[in-house]
Amino acid sequence: MAEPRLPRSLPRGECAIKASTKEPGTAAPAVELAGITKRFPGVVANHDIHLTVHRGTVHALCGENGAGKSTLMKILYGMQKPDEGTITLDGEQVTLHTPADAIGRGIGMVHQHFMLADNLTVLENVVLGAEKLHGIGNKARAKIKEISDAYGLGVRPDVLVEDLGVADRQRVEILKVLYRGARTLILDEPTAVLVPQEVDALFDNLRELKAEGLTVIFISHKLGEVLSVADDITVIRRGTTVGTAVPSETTPKQLAELMVGEELPSPETRESTVTDVPMLTVDGLHLSATDSDGVVRAVLDGIGFTIHKGEVLGLAGVEGNGQAELVEAIMGMRTPDAGTVTLDDADITKAPTRKRREDGIGYIPEDRHRHGLLLEAPLWENRILGHVTERPNSKRGLLDSKAARQDTERIVREYDVRTPGIEVTAASLSGGNQQKLIVGREMSHQPKLLIAAHPTRGVDVGAQAQIWDQIREARREGLAVLLISADLDELIGLSDTLRVMFRGRLVADADPATITPEELGSAMTGAASGHLEHTEEPTEDSNEREGGDSE
Amino acid sequence: MRRVSTITVAGVTTAALAFTLTACGESSTESGGGKSKGVGLAFDVGGRDDHSFNESAARGVDKAKKELGVDNRLMTAKNGETEADREQRLNSLAEAGYNPVIGVGFNYSKSIEKVAKDFPKTTFGIVDSVAPGNNIDSITFGEHEGSYLAGVAAALKSKNHKVGFIGGVNNALIQKFQAGFEQGAKDTDSNVQVTSQYLYPNNDKGFNDPAAAKDKAKGMLDSGIDVIYTAAGLSGNGSIEAIAGQKDAWAIGVDSDQYQQPGLEKYKDHILTSVVKNVDVAVYDLIKSVKDGKPLTGEHKYLLKDGGVSLATSGGFIDDIKDKIEAAKKKIVDGQVKVHTSP
Amino acid sequence: MKRLDKNKLILGFAAPVLAIVAALAITSIIIAATGKDPFHAYQVMVDFGSKSDSQIWIVNKATPYYLSALAVAIGFRMNLFNIGVDGQYRIAAFFAAVVGGKLAFPGIVQIPVIIIVAMLVGAMWAGLAGLLKVTRGVNEVISTIMLNAIGASVIGYFLQDGRLAVKEGNLIHTPYLPDSAHFFEIPTQPKPVYGFVVVAALAGVAYWFVLNRTRFGFDLRTVGRSESAAQASGVSVKRMVITSMLLSGAIAGLVGMPTLLGVSYNYGTDFPTGIGFTGIAIALLGRNNPVGMALAALLWGFLERTGTQLEFEGYAQEIVGVIQGVIVLCVVIAYEIVRRYGLKAQQRKVGEELAAQAGNSDKAEVSA
Repeated sequence: MAEPRLPRSLPRGECAIKASTKEPGTAAPAVELAGITKRFPGVVANHDIHLTVHRGTVHALCGENGAGKSTLMKILYGMQKPDEGTITLDGEQVTLHTPADAIGRGIGMVHQHFMLADNLTVLENVVLGAEKLHGIGNKARAKIKEISDAYGLGVRPDVLVEDLGVADRQRVEILKVLYRGARTLILDEPTAVLVPQEVDALFDNLRELKAEGLTVIFISHKLGEVLSVADDITVIRRGTTVGTAVPSETTPKQLAELMVGEELPSPETRESTVTDVPMLTVDGLHLSATDSDGVVRAVLDGIGFTIHKGEVLGLAGVEGNGQAELVEAIMGMRTPDAGTVTLDDADITKAPTRKRREDGIGYIPEDRHRHGLLLEAPLWENRILGHVTERPNSKRGLLDSKAARQDTERIVREYDVRTPGIEVTAASLSGGNQQKLIVGREMSHQPKLLIAAHPTRGVDVGAQAQIWDQIREARREGLAVLLISADLDELIGLSDTLRVMFRGRLVADADPATITPEELGSAMTGAASGHLEHTEEPTEDSNEREGGDSE
Repeated sequence: MRRVSTITVAGVTTAALAFTLTACGESSTESGGGKSKGVGLAFDVGGRDDHSFNESAARGVDKAKKELGVDNRLMTAKNGETEADREQRLNSLAEAGYNPVIGVGFNYSKSIEKVAKDFPKTTFGIVDSVAPGNNIDSITFGEHEGSYLAGVAAALKSKNHKVGFIGGVNNALIQKFQAGFEQGAKDTDSNVQVTSQYLYPNNDKGFNDPAAAKDKAKGMLDSGIDVIYTAAGLSGNGSIEAIAGQKDAWAIGVDSDQYQQPGLEKYKDHILTSVVKNVDVAVYDLIKSVKDGKPLTGEHKYLLKDGGVSLATSGGFIDDIKDKIEAAKKKIVDGQVKVHTSP
Repeated sequence: MKRLDKNKLILGFAAPVLAIVAALAITSIIIAATGKDPFHAYQVMVDFGSKSDSQIWIVNKATPYYLSALAVAIGFRMNLFNIGVDGQYRIAAFFAAVVGGKLAFPGIVQIPVIIIVAMLVGAMWAGLAGLLKVTRGVNEVISTIMLNAIGASVIGYFLQDGRLAVKEGNLIHTPYLPDSAHFFEIPTQPKPVYGFVVVAALAGVAYWFVLNRTRFGFDLRTVGRSESAAQASGVSVKRMVITSMLLSGAIAGLVGMPTLLGVSYNYGTDFPTGIGFTGIAIALLGRNNPVGMALAALLWGFLERTGTQLEFEGYAQEIVGVIQGVIVLCVVIAYEIVRRYGLKAQQRKVGEELAAQAGNSDKAEVSA
């Protein structure tokens, strides 16, 4: 298989932007997937995928959420079996039955959600399940040191994992994979949990790996990142490969359009609709919680802010700094120790969740599977969820399933929920369609305040644009929105006001018109506080970071 | 899916119910018949091999088979039965032509009363209870009298002056055992300390739970009690097992002569004596009467004076106190001592 | 949609058929292993079970089972395992019998008073477990088991001659209810069917209506499906735990009524025990569905009725217990298999349909 890789003639007339012209000699590609098809329940099936990854390169696999990237990688890692197509590793065609097969052939995967045991040390986590390689004692420790030094990972073997930050944990995951002899690493959305500074550090690590002759497959939908770190790019859309690109000759916009197949939506909010009528006022909110060690900590401390009618308040922060608790306190799912919550001039501090919902709080939860849906219930019952006391769902204590069904049909239609019917279970929809159903439901009861936690996470670009439109439109009509998002572009683009949350406190505020994701990022790590002023810098970095905010 | 299956299931049910309530002309009692097949015996929980109460009844049946050539059919109750279950069991026996039909255990008293009415030509026997009916032989025993003697023996044999009673279920029948035992012990040794405990307040499982009895007995032994009388059917085996594990401790058995029982062979050196309830005699008497065409009916009490209850002497452990026991027995038989039936 | 419905129908039948076939096969093997002819056993069961007196017996037996299953199912529908139905119905029946034995009103007052006392006592007993769960976080499985034991002891204490009970031969029971408290019977031949079967049926209808047609029922089912989603949707999970335990206990209070008002007219040492546990098996077997549980209760009664006959025919007494266990296992497994298969099939179908849609729109884009 030494033939030069040329741009593939793509099945449906899609065109590659530019063929990869880089030819790393005559060595067989590290990974070659040909004609991979996977019919997989619920999400878009992989269909006739072609992917060639050369040894010693960072190869980005990009595509919007739900395009089939993760499925493809699961196939390569032996977690799923393809229905059709072949996998060729280093010139040898193979069949991978289990991840163990893949690991045996030098493929390692770093999952989006880390798979580490918190109460064990780094060493223990690394050797767990690989005790045969170098034992569990000093030999293993030496090996870990060796790998860590070779790739500049800076991993300390005897620290407890629970004491590590997110970025360190990620490095442990990478080391774990290398320890098992991986020559090809798959990183599934590695930057999703990192702040910009940490992303840069990760990329430095990846370059080290590459320099040592390892191959990295990097999955992402963040175009700026992809362009800055990858040597080759393969784009997946709707389950199939639609093209390849060379980063040096591609702009984020081109790449984005290839990814989406259309003009990329922008989260930007144009005209301001902010009024001076307060809708939600939170004052002096304090909440303590007992953590897993039994220590009582303040997870919310002195939180106070006001959202006016027609205003979107964006809350930035690394996950786990109290955003979820704040949302739950406003929703009445947690009882704060002190402070007041006022909605539309009414004190709702003591009101139960249902009353708050009836009073006009719409809620798009962060974890839709845990808080937003009944996965095994049909769509129309999910439409009732959270609004069972309101019309059209019920009358005088009795459910009105006919009206609820009709209204579900309307939501499906108006919010473009792709489903064959309203009797299917929520679990059978893809993430984006589940989210559209939730948004449709919450917007159907004329909310005064919308709490949107990561409203477009795991949602395809088309739906993303739609959800943004809905938020903007509601805002024009006087809706107040509390927006929490890890996607800093979304946050900056949609918000009228920005706050940064760090360790349970609101530590900084910023003007979305001028702030950059980097500046926001440093406040998120606690490095900056107070009012963040944008300082003029060479703009190259900030413009390239994400494809979304290109002008 | 729920919707559709509800409808289909509803259809099936309707059909099933319709069948249930209409398609049945014949009742099971109408299809029986035939001549007597021998004795039908329904055991209480524990079954024939409880080494105790049921086994004693079974001996009577065996004897009848050997000496009179009467066949038999034995059935056993399960834990947690209802009246309907018991009725059905007796019904099946009567309907299949067994005569007499004997319910072993007072739990059968109401069901015997009911079923006996449906089978006027069959003679029924009820052990340990009294049930009204022309064709019912109600067999009761002087358990309190036998237990009194056990109390005497226990008080004489206890080195620590501490004796214990374990009842299977706290009901009127077992209270008779308790009352007699306590009275006998106190009358013999006014310093003796008697501890009486039950395995279950009101669950018949108490006659079928050796593990619980074992625990109870261990608890008593730990508190220094060295003679334990257990009236708990099959559960008694557990208690005897526990007592056998301790030197110088004595168990007093119940219903059958437990020293003689092969199943308890290992522990027999610790079985001081047993309050024998001659259920076998009563059962045999009833079977014989039916066989002879002069069925016994009405109340029959098997007391100490008739040999209906007695204290076993196997093993010879109570030979040294024989005189005192005989004296106590005489007082009861003569009516000098009146034994209480409830504590 | 049409095709989907047909699939649903097939799936709806698949589970019970699968379960029955598997259960029959396994029990046949077991019976054959004991050296007996399984087919003759089935023959005996069907013959004996279809006799008219057997059918009446089965219906009468199934009535308390059904009520018990309803009580358990209320808990199941919101992921609560009320293992204490057994203690609840007994203590409820006991105090109802005590109250009923002391009063002498006309039947139209007397019977409702007894039933209400039973429901209240049952509800209180179960409510204790609910209260412990929401205030102290005690798992309801533990607390209801403990309450079973406590209930038995409470009954044991009061059920003594001179306390709340009287002695009749070797039986001790509460004083007889007055004749006015005798529940009506349905005059069937050769024996009557308990009138309480009507109450059981009404309870089944009420169960269905409350759970499927009311806001309250929706909230309850929501908690059962996802506690976190329920909380986010505005259901007070704690209050729901207490309410459903109270309801479950109230229904449990009815379990002893067919016996108390239709057969024994007192609560004695011979009052049936263990129906609460049977209810768990029946709720599992009937998939918490009101009709399914009715069928399951009848099936249970059928097995018990015919089981004695099997013993009579020389089969081991334990066979029926084995059959019951095997059926419950088969049903639970079969439903789980079919449920998973159905979910997968549905996801696949949705995926395919959407892929087809996407394919169409892709083509449209290309040609445009």
